[in-house]
This record gives sequence, C-alpha cells and structure tokens, in this order.
Amino acid sequence: MIEHNDVKTFEEVENVVIRFAGDSGDGMQLTGTQFANTSAVFGNDISTLPDYPAEIRAPAGTLAGVSGFQVNLSSQHIRTPGDAPQVLVAMNPAALAANLGDLEIGGTIIANTDAFTTGNLKKAHYDENPLEDGSLKGYVVHRVPLTSINRRALEEFESEMTSKDIDRCQNFFALGMTFWIYDRPLQTTKTWIQQKFGKNPTIAAANTKALEAGYFYAETAEIFQTRYRVRPAKLPPGTYRNISGNQAIALGLVTAAQKAGKPLFYGGYPITPASDILHNLAPLKQFDVRTFQAEDEIAAMGSIIGAAFGGAFAVTATSGPGIALKSEAMNLAMVLELPMIIINVQRGGPSTGMPTKPEQGDLLQAMFGRNGDSPLPILAPATPADNFNIAIEAFRFAVRAMSPVVILSDGFLATSSEPWNIPDPDSIEPIVVTHPGPRENGNQFLPYRRDGETLARPWALPGTQGLEHRLGGLAKAPDTGNVSYDPNHQSLMIDLRAEKVHRLQEMIPPTEVYGRKSGDLLVITWGSPFGAARSAVARAQTAGLDVSHVHLRHLNPLPRDLEAIMKRFKRILLPELNTGQLAFLLRGRFGMGNIESFSKVTGRPFSINEIYKKIHEMM
Amino acid sequence: MTENVIPIKEIPNYSRKDFQSDQTVRWCPGCGDYAILAAVQKALPDIGKRKEDIVFISGIGCSSRFPYYMDTYGIHSIHGRAPTLATGLKIANPELSVWVITGDGDGLSIGGNHLLHACRRNVDLQILLFNNRIYGLTKGQYSPTSKPGTKTKSSPMGSIDEAFNPIAVALGASATFIARTLDTGVKHLDQMLLEAAAHKGSSFIEIFQNCIIFNDKTWDYASDRKQQPDTVLFLEHGKPMIFGKNNDRGIRLNGLQPEVVELGHGITEDDLLIHDETNRNLAYLLSQMDYPDFPVPFGVLYRDTTKPAYEQAVMDQIHQAQEKRGKPDLRDLYMSDYTWTVEPDKRETQAIMRDEMGTGPLDEEYLDNMEKSLTGEPQQVNKIHEGLSIDPISNLLFGRNAITAQAGDSLERAIKLMQDNNIGAIVVVDSSKRPIGIFTETDVLRKVATQIEDLSARRVVDFMTRNPDVLQSHVPIAHALYLMSIHKYRHLPIVNEDGVVIDVISFRDVVKYIQDYFV
Repeated sequence: MIEHNDVKTFEEVENVVIRFAGDSGDGMQLTGTQFANTSAVFGNDISTLPDYPAEIRAPAGTLAGVSGFQVNLSSQHIRTPGDAPQVLVAMNPAALAANLGDLEIGGTIIANTDAFTTGNLKKAHYDENPLEDGSLKGYVVHRVPLTSINRRALEEFESEMTSKDIDRCQNFFALGMTFWIYDRPLQTTKTWIQQKFGKNPTIAAANTKALEAGYFYAETAEIFQTRYRVRPAKLPPGTYRNISGNQAIALGLVTAAQKAGKPLFYGGYPITPASDILHNLAPLKQFDVRTFQAEDEIAAMGSIIGAAFGGAFAVTATSGPGIALKSEAMNLAMVLELPMIIINVQRGGPSTGMPTKPEQGDLLQAMFGRNGDSPLPILAPATPADNFNIAIEAFRFAVRAMSPVVILSDGFLATSSEPWNIPDPDSIEPIVVTHPGPRENGNQFLPYRRDGETLARPWALPGTQGLEHRLGGLAKAPDTGNVSYDPNHQSLMIDLRAEKVHRLQEMIPPTEVYGRKSGDLLVITWGSPFGAARSAVARAQTAGLDVSHVHLRHLNPLPRDLEAIMKRFKRILLPELNTGQLAFLLRGRFGMGNIESFSKVTGRPFSINEIYKKIHEMM
Repeated sequence: MTENVIPIKEIPNYSRKDFQSDQTVRWCPGCGDYAILAAVQKALPDIGKRKEDIVFISGIGCSSRFPYYMDTYGIHSIHGRAPTLATGLKIANPELSVWVITGDGDGLSIGGNHLLHACRRNVDLQILLFNNRIYGLTKGQYSPTSKPGTKTKSSPMGSIDEAFNPIAVALGASATFIARTLDTGVKHLDQMLLEAAAHKGSSFIEIFQNCIIFNDKTWDYASDRKQQPDTVLFLEHGKPMIFGKNNDRGIRLNGLQPEVVELGHGITEDDLLIHDETNRNLAYLLSQMDYPDFPVPFGVLYRDTTKPAYEQAVMDQIHQAQEKRGKPDLRDLYMSDYTWTVEPDKRETQAIMRDEMGTGPLDEEYLDNMEKSLTGEPQQVNKIHEGLSIDPISNLLFGRNAITAQAGDSLERAIKLMQDNNIGAIVVVDSSKRPIGIFTETDVLRKVATQIEDLSARRVVDFMTRNPDVLQSHVPIAHALYLMSIHKYRHLPIVNEDGVVIDVISFRDVVKYIQDYFV
C-alpha cells in the first residue's frame, strides 16, 4: 500500500456546459434534468436549457426529431445556460449533425457508435460516417458502442423486458458515463428512479443497472483520461430547488391568490410554450386553484374576465398567436377595469413561427395591439426564478390599478431552469383586496367612481346587495359607467385610464444601475437577455471597459427614474430578441438619438460572448 | 372550505319593477325584444334568487343591449363571447344565477363555438337565443338562421347558405335543457324562463323574435293568433302530441318518421306520439319538424337532470383534493421537488475553496485544459472493456477465506500469515470482522524491512494503512481496476453487505481474469 495522492485524478474547472442530444424519444430531457438536479444537489450553480422539436415524434433518427438539453454547472454564480457546450453527448448521427455547430472548438463528443448505421447516417444527411472520416479532427471524440454494452449489461432482464425496453434504458447508461466524468454521485438519480419507477421493480432495477453500468464503463474506458471536478458554488445560504420559469410562475400565481385569500382561476387553451403553466396549476386544486381548459384562446380570455368579475384572482397564459386571438377580449377587460393577469410566453414569430424557440417580438403587440387607446401595464421576468416574483407583483399591480396586467415571459425563460432560493411564504406581504360592502339605503352605487390616489374604480362583486351594476365595452360616462357618447366623457375616460396605468410608477422600486451611474455606454435589457447581458457587462467591466447595465422588469409604465439614468450615458446599447421594439419605444418616449438596437431574431437566446463582443466593438 | 354552509337567503317580495334599471330602453318601436325584456322582468321575482345574485351577460347585437335594462349585475361583452364570460363567472361563484343573452348572429355565427362548448360542459347557465333570422344592428344582412333565398343587402339574389336549426345545434352540443318559445307568447315564455331557471345545467331557449325593421313577419305563421293553433305544436311532457284549432290533429310515428294525422276515422289519441322530455331521440325527431310540413314544436323539447353541472364538478374536485391532501401549505408546495440546503457556515468553507482556485476568466483556462485533452488519443473500446465494465467482482472470488489479523497482532504474526498463505496483503479487522486497515507486502518493504528489528514487539496496527477503500462483490471488476490504477492499489478488500470482510482481490487476480478473455 502506498500513498496515492500524487496521482492527478481530477482537473478542477470552474464550469462545464454539457449538452445531451438524441432522438426525441431517447429521453434526453430527462437525462439532462437528472444531470442538472444532481449537480444542483451537489452544490453547483446551474442553469439549463431544453431544446426540443415542435414535432412530437418526428421520424426516428431524423434531424427534425433531435431533442437536446443543455446544462451549465459552475462553481461560480451563473446567469445563462452557457454560450456553447463543451461536451456533446450524441445518441445518434442526427443529434451530432444538429448540434455539432454549437459545440466549442476542441470540445468533447461522446457518440453512440451503435446508432451510426448506414440508415441513420443517411437520415442525418451524412455521406460518410463522421466518426471515421476524420471530419471530427479537432474534437475529442469518445466512441462508445452504447446500445450493445447497455444490452449486455442488462442481459439479466431479457426474460422480463423486450429489447426495446432495454434499449430505452440507454439514456441512463449515458447519464452514468457523464456522472463518472464529472464526478457526480449517483444517489440523486437512483432515488429518482425508485420514486418514478418504483411501481415496476424490473424497470427500476434495469434503469439503475444501466446507470451504474455507464458509470463503471466510463471508469474503464476513460481509465487514463482526465476527470473533471466542478466545486460547489458560493450560493447564499438557504434551501434551494431547481425551477423553470413556467414552474415558478405557477407557484407565484398560487402564492398571490393565497396571499389575497382568493381562489385562483386559470382559463387557458393549450399552446406551446405556455401549456406547462396549466399543467403545473391543475394538480394544485387543494389551494382552491380552479383550472378551466377552454375551447379556444378567446374563450380562455373571456372566462378570466367573467371570473375576475366574480371576484377570483383570474389568469390566462398563452403565446403570441393566442394573444392575437385574445386581443379583443383583453381590450374589453381593459375598459371593464377588472384585475387579471395575461401571460404571454413569447415564441418565435410572426404567425405560427417557431413554437419552441424564444423571441421577444410581442412587446409592441402588448403595448399597442388593440383597437383604440388601450394602455395595459406590462411586466417581464428577468430569469426563470424571477417568474415567481413577477407573478405576485403583477397581481399587486392589477389589484391596485383595477386593470389587466400583461406578463411577457418567453420560451427561454419558461423552459430553462436555475436554482431558486426558496422563500419563506410568511415573509411575502399579503395582497390587500377590498370590495365595497352591501348597501341597503338605496344610495346609488357608482361603479366608475375612482380612488383619488390610484384612480382605480371599486371592485364590486355580484352577490353584494345594493351594488347591482352593468359593465360594458361601449364608451361610458365617468362615475356611473353608463353608456355615453359624449365627446368630453370619451376624452376624459381615455385620459383617466392612461393616467391610472402611469401612476403604477409609484409601485416600481428605484432602478438599479449595475456599474457606474454615468459614463460612456449603458446596456439596457428586458426579459431573458438579462443573464447574457449582465455576464457580458461584468466581463467587460473586469476588462476595464466603462460600461454599465440596467435591466427593466417594468415596461409599462417605465420606471420613473429611467430617463434621467439614460441621459447620464453617452450611448445606449439595447440587445433584444426582436428587431428593436424596446429601442423604438424608448426613442419615441424620450426622443433620444443615441440608442443603438442590437437585434437578434434567430430563435436562439443571446450568448454572453455575442454581447461582450458588441460592447467591445463599441468602445 | 367544505365546512362552510351557504346560508339560505331570504328572498324579498320582488315585483317586475325591481328589475328595471334607470336606463332608457332603446330598441326600435315594435321590436320583439321589448316583450322578452318584460317577460324576463316578470319571471325573475319567481325564480327564488335575490337580485344581487343574478347576472346577465350578453354579446353584441340588438338583443345584447338587454343587460343595460336590467337592474341586476350585468356585462355587455363582445361579439359572440358571452358564454365564455358566463362560464368563468359561474366557476368563480357557482351560487350566482347567470343568464346569457344572445342572438342568431352573436350566438350561432361569431360565437357558435362558445355556445357549443357551454352546452357541452353543462355549465349551469340560462342561454336565451333571440332568433330573428337577420342581422339587425348592422342594418339587415342575412344571418345563419335565415332561410335559404333570403334577399338582403348582402344577398340581393337571395342567400345561398343553408340555415342553422338552433334546437338541433343545442341538442347536438348536449345541452341538458332545450326549449322553444315566442317573444309575444307572454304566458308560454314566462313558463319556459321559470323552467330554465330551475334547471341545474345548460339551459337553452330559442325565442322566436320579430325584427320589425329588417325581417318583419318572419315568424308570423307561429305568432299570428289565428294561424298558431295549426302551425305550432305545444309540447307537454307525458301528453299526446295534439294540435289544431279543434284539437283534431296529431303527430304519429310512421316507421322512423313522424307524420301529421287527423284524429277520427279510426285514429285516436292512443295512436299519437306521447311527449317524453327525457328521450333524446324523440327530441331530435321533434327538432327536425318545421313549418309548413309540420307544426313547429314549442315547449321543453329535452330535459336531462342526471348530469352534474360543470361548476359543481369543478368544486367537487376542489373539495376532494382538499379532503385528500389536507390543509394546503405554501411551504410544502415550494419544497415539492429536489431541494438542497446551503448552510451559512458551509458557505465559508466553500468560499475558501473558491479562493484557492483563484479567480479571473476561467473560461480560457478551461479551453487550455481542453487543448491538453486533445493530445490524448481517443480510447478504443474492445471486448475487454465491455466485459470488465459488466462482470462483477464475484467472478474473481473462488470461495477463499479472507485471511485477517487483529489490531493487537504483532508484525511477526501478520507477516507469518502472509508467508504461510502466499498472499500479498492481510486485512486488519475489528471484533466484528470489519476492516480497519490493510497491511501489504509494500508496507513490509517500505516501513518494516531493515528498519524494524524486533517484529514481535511491534503491532501491525501501527504499520497498516488505515480505512482502506473496500468494495462489494456485485460491483463490476472495472471499478476495482480503476481504483487500483489511479491509487496504485494492489489489493482491495471485498466486503459483504454488513461490511464484513469476505475476501481480498489482488491486481494479479484481475490480470488473470483479463488473460482469460484471450484464451
């Protein structure tokens, strides 16, 4: 027995970006999620991004059917799922072909050689096998006959499982390999397998076996290679869980309703990428969450107006095409002046566009996409976990202004995930809702008599004696709300509704400037580019560049101090996943000519590097 | 929630005036809507609801002005969408009596989809469809219920669209209460309204309504007092289908088709169809009877009281979930996933570790590392790799008994045991036979030979390696090989599930096993 600490076993790295890619049926999302959860429990900061095809089951082995899941794990605080993966696990040729372009130069490829058959190569449009023709020179390629080893490892299950079932375990084999390479414990996934498949002991045992076999196989095959170790990150103390934007927003909505002592009514129509919000809420009936799957987008919107009129906390979620359909009813909700939330999980447009890809192309639609002057408050979360906060904040806004509030999330925020420092629910301020009480004296109730401070009208509920009143989409008189085409009434009501939304500025905290408070360049973002922009600005600041960053969570109204902040900088850079919609708004609002739009409309999020390079170019 | 009992409310002695709002009614003089408004205001005092619990929701069109004239809660919404608001409202507060006012354009054209789904779901609504077979508010275009050939501004040569049959639509959509009546038939209209209000579920009433401006007299055959006895069949549950000025005509089933027969000449009431509101097939048959081939059926065509109302089913699930899962707790909800805790003190440790790693743009460092890795040749995989990664360590064991020493044993005894048994390592165990250390030939070479003179005076426990890595026998050989290669172990103790030593495997054992693959 000799001392062994002179053996260099591990390469310490700050972060690793790994992408699992395979056929949409290969369970790559699951594999990636397990890798992410294990890393999170291990203590790394993590950020994940699924990338799945719009087709539910494109033909096996084709490029259209490739499903990927990217995990960024780090010993530092991170804000994005990583610019480019350093490691690609490719379960078939199509997965390699579809993802190779993203892989870092010199990156590592772990390929399942068994899937590189003539037929599969053809489906991926390869003339030659890329694993053999030298085209992957410059990458570290690990060729693993994954399917066949996995079959051998699971031989003992042959009597109980079909070969298809056995092959279905090979994602756990792949996961086991990556666990070995990145020195992750198997226990989290083993526990998960038990919970998930415990009812079928054979399946549970087979998947566990595949996981272990992959781990041990990696040990053997990689025997003289380096393993990587990513140390736990320095996260603030607390209890954490991994959370996606769509999960976070659902929890935020339930919390808001509970904090107001209200039932939560959710009316929605299935649409990618918003459907998960409905899926996340539907099982929470014990919180008096009443979900309603409507016959179409319009019905979903109509139902929340009815529910809001009835006194529930009402919410709907959709994506751009759904907003287009809902717009007329959103406008009605605006003039009825009832509190509710409309979530737009933005996706690539126009028209049906790219349902599974993120974009921020609906800002102007939210601002102006209704007939007449129709101001609605608009909020946008900055990160996946921020969806929780924004949902609660949106209800505070809605109740204060008696107005529908729009939340602009996007496909990236909705589906990517990050660790969430779980708050103490008792520390969240209640949402105080008041309804006028019954009156028996016969005094006339004025449904449009406004609060002097907030300009909100009273939220009088059906069932309250003496407050019977009629609301409608026709132009109306102040106070009574009676139908009126009086020119003064029309003008006054339009102004009051706009002023009411404007006064929500009082709810917006002072804008945080990241970096110097004045200077050469200010980067402004809203929505999901936050992570990439903040990281890029941080990098630029470290490199000595005079650049600051402001991120906007409130788009209507804008923060009251924004204009003054912007004027303290010579130039403004505005990265957006659209062709410059916020830039257009800000130019129009503040009349500034020094706003440069940095536009990206590829259906992909910004990378840190892209923004960093742009900042560098401008300095 | 469940323990809350809804208090039974006292219903004041309302009159129709209590339901009249202060707004001036602005329909065209002579419009059928006036009659319907009056009938509704007359019926509401009798439905057993307080007026603050009544809501009227309409879409867009002449009929949809209705809520403004009712002193109840109300919403004049947007074109065709009234059923959607009504559904949301009913789910939010199932105690309300919710009425939907719609027309043939609003309900069957732009809002057709919502009408279908409100019926299908059996939401407890009263849907009153004012059918005047024309677009009135937009000044006279043909509607989805206009008879083919209707000449209007948008169909100067006559409409070519087939007309909807509203009753058949409601039936097809599975409404559970379906009735037909007439704007000016005050008594019958009143009765239908009360029956609809009493029904728990989706109630649909088609009301023949006259548009005096754009489609006057469209229902004259049914509303004209003189013609009505011969053109309208008033249905009554359990009664034979008789009509005619002298009650001398009836409906008889001929095979699967209804036919009009004259009573007398051998035909009696017993030959006639008996109305059965609960018979869906009969309701369909009735829905297809139309003037002039048949009298048009008025009354309750269909009633199904067996299905639960939608909002009731929603609340039932809420209560079930609450009973099953107990008091909901936000903290539990937040925690319902993998969680991990970062302790404040541990954070210090981690911070220190991070500092040791250094800071700065480590992305580049990572790239350097990757470049280093590039120089390594990709591993070729072969049968040995496969075998080793799958075959368990138990394949190496042949039932040998582990040779062990106790902590108190002398070096002399330990070395003697190794010599006698021709083994390169001996496991030192505690009283339960669990390993506390391993003493190997390397230890003899490095720490004992030429350094220790009196082997019997020194204890093995001071020369062994403490807490050695151990493996269980089901683990693949690959794992043993891995530990051996990176830690340069030559021997690894094998333990059972209780941690008791059962054997020791050596590097030699593994090499021998690999050799076998070549044989």
